Amino acid sequence: MADLRKKFRVAVLSVVKHDYLPHAVAAHPRFELVVVTDDADQPDWVHERNQRFADEFGISYLRDIAKAIAEYELDMAVVSSEAERHCDLAVRAADAGLHVIADKPMSTRLSECDRLVEAVQRNNVKFLLWNRNFLPAVIQAKEVIQSGAIGELHAIHVDFYFSKDAGPPKGTRQLGDPPINWLERQLKAHADGSDGGVGIEAMGELQIEGIYPLAYIRMLANANVRRVFARTARHFHQVNVDNHVDDLASVSLELDNGTVGSLCIGRTGAASHPDIGEIKIHAIGSKGGIVITEARPEVSIHYRDQPPLEFKNERIANENDFLLMDDFARALDTGCEPILNAKGGRDIAATVFAAVESGKTGQPVEVTH
Amino acid sequence: MIRLALIGQAKAAKSYGAIRTRLHRAVWAAFVPLTASDGQAGQALGQVTTAPSTEVLFTEQANDFDAVVIDADPGQAAVLAKAAAAGKPALASPLLADIAALGQADTMLMPAHTWRFLPSIQAVKRSLDAGKLGAPGLLRIHRWLPPEATPESLTERILPDADLACWMFGGAPEKVWTLLTPSNPDYIQFHLGFANGGMAMIDIACSLPAGGDYFSLSITGGTGAAYADDHHNMNLLYAGDQPNALRASQGHTDLAGQLQEFVDAIHEQRQATVLLKDAMRAIAVTEQIIESASSNHVIEQKENS
Repeated sequence: MADLRKKFRVAVLSVVKHDYLPHAVAAHPRFELVVVTDDADQPDWVHERNQRFADEFGISYLRDIAKAIAEYELDMAVVSSEAERHCDLAVRAADAGLHVIADKPMSTRLSECDRLVEAVQRNNVKFLLWNRNFLPAVIQAKEVIQSGAIGELHAIHVDFYFSKDAGPPKGTRQLGDPPINWLERQLKAHADGSDGGVGIEAMGELQIEGIYPLAYIRMLANANVRRVFARTARHFHQVNVDNHVDDLASVSLELDNGTVGSLCIGRTGAASHPDIGEIKIHAIGSKGGIVITEARPEVSIHYRDQPPLEFKNERIANENDFLLMDDFARALDTGCEPILNAKGGRDIAATVFAAVESGKTGQPVEVTH
Repeated sequence: MIRLALIGQAKAAKSYGAIRTRLHRAVWAAFVPLTASDGQAGQALGQVTTAPSTEVLFTEQANDFDAVVIDADPGQAAVLAKAAAAGKPALASPLLADIAALGQADTMLMPAHTWRFLPSIQAVKRSLDAGKLGAPGLLRIHRWLPPEATPESLTERILPDADLACWMFGGAPEKVWTLLTPSNPDYIQFHLGFANGGMAMIDIACSLPAGGDYFSLSITGGTGAAYADDHHNMNLLYAGDQPNALRASQGHTDLAGQLQEFVDAIHEQRQATVLLKDAMRAIAVTEQIIESASSNHVIEQKENS
């Protein structure tokens, strides 16, 4: 019988992005942040952000991961580094016997995802890839589909548009100007939280955010994607043009249980929507269909002199963070798998990489599982 | 005043009758029922003469009307051929006949693309044409139909949205990819790639239970986006158990708008805003969509039409 009073001791392995993930961990009563740690050879901006977060929580920042693991009697690690370091840090934590929660995207390389899956299995630890599957509207979609109200699921579609800007619009670079550096742009974007792609390697919107809608589809259809056909474009932002990565994509999906579906995703610019963006789930079955707006429930707030970029509709009753952590605590207590484990995250990453390849070749691509 | 003749079923007479008082510069003058039992249906159009057949209409009553609206099944191609031969302007389904051949005739033929005239679609297209949205990037359409609203043929199901996509992007797609599973013939999904990275993702399901349909169209451009979405336009009815959603109706504005455009084009002696080449393009894309489904290959178009 698990000790439900046990508080899990958590190390933050790098916290360079918007820090929702370690905040969510800290907010759950079963978890306690005890140290922030990173490799000593990281650049100054990484150390500065790590130190700032450690100061916020009144805990130490050690520039030596092995030492932190040795000295702090840790149960788990939360990884919120640049995307290209996610898997390496997670593997090192798993090899030290720690359970791991990692931010999305899982990695910039599928081989790294495979390495992580192997490490998690070999060390018999739990891994959670951060996701949004516990948003109220997504839970509702799941309940409706599982209830059989729409019959056998035939198709599932997700629209996932973030109406955020990403620096200068496409076409604004003047002759002779250098291309926008990806990392520099991401570092600047930290101020408004639009730095989801922070890292040295440039990533398109499919790579940065694709995990979220694909995790919906995987959960709701209870199947993996078998084949994709994708169309990708650099339609909005100069930084995407300069770094040859998509900011708009559409992906046709064939799942291994015969269900089909699609994903439309983009960083569509702040002007394209009054709130964070149009995010919807459409599911059609043998007996009916359901249309779900991911933002609901929400309240509308309008007032004089309202800042133009302030969302007019505010999401409420969002317990995604808490429920993810509750789910992970349950996994640690009982040995069950969390809602999106390493293999699930890896399979979603494989879908993303296949879609990126399809976007380049213009042909359908099989997803490797 | 332009005198119109209607060739169609009672249902068409009823639909056009409901909007007859909105019509400017035109009046209904004749009706040809396509089935004998619909003989009285012309009364819905007002004071019209009812011809027993299209043969009689185009010969003995040819001087009684100026233009013809044909609301017939695709199989009834001969009707349109007669209209063309009689030199009467015609408003007719793009699938009614060999439309390419009719395009050679010296007669105004406006393909009935009623879907373009929905107020919601018109508003989206106006904002696109005005440059508010920037270059179109992604068009997304979900169209779910109950049995009573489902056209018989796959071509009829696909054509409206294939046309909308081409219309919004101003050309035919370069690439076409379709998902259609034999085990689920009520569903088709097609993915179109347009020039300059443009893309359209469209799903059509005909498996809704009897009752309302659902339609959602959104288009995202470089500087903005437009959403014409039934989900946004639902009111609520409380009558026990869970509340029911009631869609706010767009009325008969699509049919009225299309008919008025036909009349105005004749009156002003100009081309209609829907051209034969639009219909031909939509038909060609529809054929590619079906070809992709049957071949399981991406269909690539060599030249942009």
